[in-house]
Amino acid sequence: MNLEQEIKELVIARLDTLPDGVGVSVGSDGDYSKKDLIQHVELGDEIGKKIIEVEMHFLRALKSGALYESSYLSNEA
Amino acid sequence: MNHRILVTRPNSDRTTRYLSEWAKKAIELASKKGDIILDLYKNKANRKQFESMIRRNTPSFIFINGHGNEVCVTGQNEEVLVEADHNENILSKSVIYAVSCSSGKTLGKNSVKAGAYSYIGYEDKFIFLFDEKKRTRPLEDKVAGPFLESSNQVAVSLIKGHTAGEAFASSQKCFMRKIQKLLSSGVSVRESSALRYLLWNKQFQVCIGNPSATI
Repeated sequence: MNLEQEIKELVIARLDTLPDGVGVSVGSDGDYSKKDLIQHVELGDEIGKKIIEVEMHFLRALKSGALYESSYLSNEA
Repeated sequence: MNHRILVTRPNSDRTTRYLSEWAKKAIELASKKGDIILDLYKNKANRKQFESMIRRNTPSFIFINGHGNEVCVTGQNEEVLVEADHNENILSKSVIYAVSCSSGKTLGKNSVKAGAYSYIGYEDKFIFLFDEKKRTRPLEDKVAGPFLESSNQVAVSLIKGHTAGEAFASSQKCFMRKIQKLLSSGVSVRESSALRYLLWNKQFQVCIGNPSATI
């Protein structure tokens, strides 16, 4: 299995944890259910690619530990 | 001092309906403080009225809610209100906050070059979750709440007299508090699904121009 397919499967597995009854608004691209997003990821279209990008962005932040660092907080207002 | 605040609140689809309803909270705060609100709601969120209101009233704060892309922000039925290399000079001498996808990337920068004091916006898609059962009652939607509360903190902070830089930082902190709450144990799967999108919005929120600008 190539890397692109592995990433798709990872993202789909993570999207599958989205609760039913919760939708995702992606700006003017529209609103999507969990099922819709999974289909777009499988298709590899623009929405699918964006959702993959969002997911990978989050996973990288988790992996780097950045989310748990106090320095990740912005300065006091 | 009473400020003039222009708000665009289109209502032509679910996303804009949510943005418009949640923007009411900032509007109510401003009204209580005695600010003058120029509310372009639904069909009033068109280019002709937008430009006319700005020319006649010179608002110090322009709060745009709607769709957009790198070069424009839109109003009702996605009518373009401001477009880079066309009419961004309309935003000069104002502080702008645009809850719109991607406009921070090009339109925001162009607006500041054309004389806007500061432009706070997003450099990529603004994404949020919503509860299907609350689609007709956006303000009761606790799934969407963390996103729109964090985003609207920019407007709230500016209205309270903070600088653009402080308002941006306040919103960033709000996003981060919500993220860190969802990272803690005891949070449901339903709630934690928001994490990746909250982080995305926080990451791509930008403050361009003079961070010391106030409305």
